[in-house]
Amino acid sequence: MRNAGFLLLAWLALLTVRAEDSVSWEITPAVTGPGQPFRLQVRIESDVILGPADRVGREIKPPRGMALRFSGQIFRSGTTEATLNFSGVSPETEGAHVIPSFNIRFPAKMIQVPKITLNVSNATGFRKDGQARAELELPDRTFYVGERIPGAILLRGSEQEFVSGSFGLECEAEGFSFQLLSDRAQPLDNGQGLLTAFELTPIRTGSSELSLNGIMLIQVGVTSAFSSPSRDRPFTFRRRINVEHVPEAGRPANWNGAIGKFLTDTIQLSNLSPEVGEPIRLRAILAGEGNLERIIPPEIIGGENWDIIPATERRRRAEDQRIFAYTLIPRLPGKLLTPEIRLATFDPETRSFNQVVFAPQAVTVTGTAPAKVDLVKVDPRTGANGAMTKALAGLATPQPNLRSVLSTPVASIQPLAASKSFWATNGILFALLALGLGVVMTMGYLSVHPEILIHYHARRNCHRAARRARQAAQAQDSAAFARAIVAGLRIGSGALLQAKAQALTHRDILRVLPDAPLALLETLFRIAEGDKFAPRPLDTLLAEPSLALALLAQLEAKL
Amino acid sequence: MKLKFLPLVFLLLSVLTVVAEPTAGEIAYAKGDYAGAVEQWQEQGHRDGLTAPLLSALGNAEWKLGRKGRAVLCWERALLLDPRDTVAIAGLRHAQTAGGIERPTASWSENYSAFLSADTWLILAGVSFWGLVLCVALPKFSPKIRGAWYQRGLVTFATLLALSLPGLWGSHTSAQRAVVRRADVALRLTPTAQGEPVSGIGEGDVVRTQRGFNGHTRVQTAEGKTGWVRSGEVEAIWGGGLPANLDQKAAP
Repeated sequence: MRNAGFLLLAWLALLTVRAEDSVSWEITPAVTGPGQPFRLQVRIESDVILGPADRVGREIKPPRGMALRFSGQIFRSGTTEATLNFSGVSPETEGAHVIPSFNIRFPAKMIQVPKITLNVSNATGFRKDGQARAELELPDRTFYVGERIPGAILLRGSEQEFVSGSFGLECEAEGFSFQLLSDRAQPLDNGQGLLTAFELTPIRTGSSELSLNGIMLIQVGVTSAFSSPSRDRPFTFRRRINVEHVPEAGRPANWNGAIGKFLTDTIQLSNLSPEVGEPIRLRAILAGEGNLERIIPPEIIGGENWDIIPATERRRRAEDQRIFAYTLIPRLPGKLLTPEIRLATFDPETRSFNQVVFAPQAVTVTGTAPAKVDLVKVDPRTGANGAMTKALAGLATPQPNLRSVLSTPVASIQPLAASKSFWATNGILFALLALGLGVVMTMGYLSVHPEILIHYHARRNCHRAARRARQAAQAQDSAAFARAIVAGLRIGSGALLQAKAQALTHRDILRVLPDAPLALLETLFRIAEGDKFAPRPLDTLLAEPSLALALLAQLEAKL
Repeated sequence: MKLKFLPLVFLLLSVLTVVAEPTAGEIAYAKGDYAGAVEQWQEQGHRDGLTAPLLSALGNAEWKLGRKGRAVLCWERALLLDPRDTVAIAGLRHAQTAGGIERPTASWSENYSAFLSADTWLILAGVSFWGLVLCVALPKFSPKIRGAWYQRGLVTFATLLALSLPGLWGSHTSAQRAVVRRADVALRLTPTAQGEPVSGIGEGDVVRTQRGFNGHTRVQTAEGKTGWVRSGEVEAIWGGGLPANLDQKAAP
């Protein structure tokens, strides 16, 4: 019974153990030659039902020079196994090339495939002769912003491997616009391959890497109606490209963005013998290799003989042509020449600017000039002999060294209003002025109202007298107490009565303080000044000092 | 009495100009080597400082090279230094007529302010303000100095101040402009990198600038359309010397 329990526990433990995912791979052949196609098979065993893998290959980052593509998977429903096949082409350099670890997503879980090493060696005896291969045709030079760069991918086949198609061409490049020139690849001249033409246009300067990836379909050996052993093979190209702006040195003023090799094709006129005022159409056809569509039509000047209106040419004859159309209206009769059309171009191969000129065409204009045609523009600057001293329109002649006595050169065009010192100086001056004005106005007001200062000083003296009186009362000095009180009463009353303080008597104090007790005032004056005339009388003044101090407080309140 | 001739002398001095010998930049310009002229004049600007004639000449050469943004900026800045610079005025007129450049229509105060430079307007306003203040304040300090000249000064300075205020306002609104430096700039509805483009403005167009936010500046085009552009796509007319070199960008 005990053994049976152990067996049951062991069985349960085995059931709960989570089996680890097993990932194995195989490269065929195990060692490849440079540029040799190989096959990678990844086998996965898991503890859960896997199902079909999703988005395989998106995370694979093959090393430089190696092309690798997911080519198919084998799985059976309800099983925990899956087999994934990849096809690739080994790099051209010998050595160990590591495919970094990547993830494969199944419906049930995600499984990580560890890094895989591909060994490339010349000792395998592999020869590329007879193998289908891809080649990139792209000029190896510095490119220019706005340039049209033609490129092509050549998928060359052989008698053993016939290239039957291609798909999935992708371009990864920053700073370029990529465009396929046709939807389908064109067959090569020898019939054993395909050509996919594309066009690159740099849109900014700098150095960036161009990456082109795709897949070619190959048929191997003899094909028949019943057997067509075909396979697909990826290819990849990486190229570092430098892009610059068209050089400024020597750039003509009439350069309108033309980059490439151009030549004048034809110049066509809709009517070689128009009448005066009859519009004719001039079509100048530019041919060559370059950014024809990006060229701004050159501006031509009609002068006195022609009125010129730029026209729009809707019809395109071919990809390698550009038509500049103008509507010309003759203003004078006679044998006239159409204006010359001049176009500056930049050749990226030779890094030089060239001029493409459409020669003037002879036109015989019939009819008579209208009476009101303004053939000669009158300008006040015209000299007596009719010579024009300056152009009527356009840019004026610069005079960079013109110096005015009052204008001084500056390092930076900063407004005076942005100067902090300017506003600080004005602010300080304004504050000082306001302060001075305030002082002057205050002094003026005080001079008009002098009683303000008299009352202020009297109030302060009354306050001091009260303080001295309190000190005398504490010292039991009745004479000093009476003198302090009397002095305070005289000063305060003098300010109110506008009289000399020393001349006031206790009767004058009563005019200011009518409610003051007369006896108390007499006592105070007698004690304060009685020494001058008779012995000091016995007093009980210090018995109630607050009465006298109250008189001072009452007077101080009136001031 | 002699003081009456002082304004005349001042006017003569302002008109009196000195033309030096042709420099290497002028020779290069005359030969059609506009890139060489730009290099020479830029070096001269760094070395000797900027003047209105130098900036307008630089604008001409930049225009010849097809760099509309730099050209218009040079001309606009030349007009800040000298509002009556004929080369800059002709260049801007040519750019508007033949070059397709759009420039906001100037208001009456901006047309008025174009009579003098912004700094001159400010100095004039400052002098008249302080003169007015002194004419008001001095009699307060000392009533004895009150006299007929004081009355004349009061009226004169008050008139000058009143005349300079529209000029100041026009200079202020003119200063809030910028030149589009990039080609095919999108005017966006919101100040974000993914903001919806509502319109487009071309290189060299002059726009009125408003507030900035999130690395963008709100601008109003000559057509009256308002939107946001990246701050690096426009360059303010005030507050710089030679146009900023936007072409020297880091490699991608």
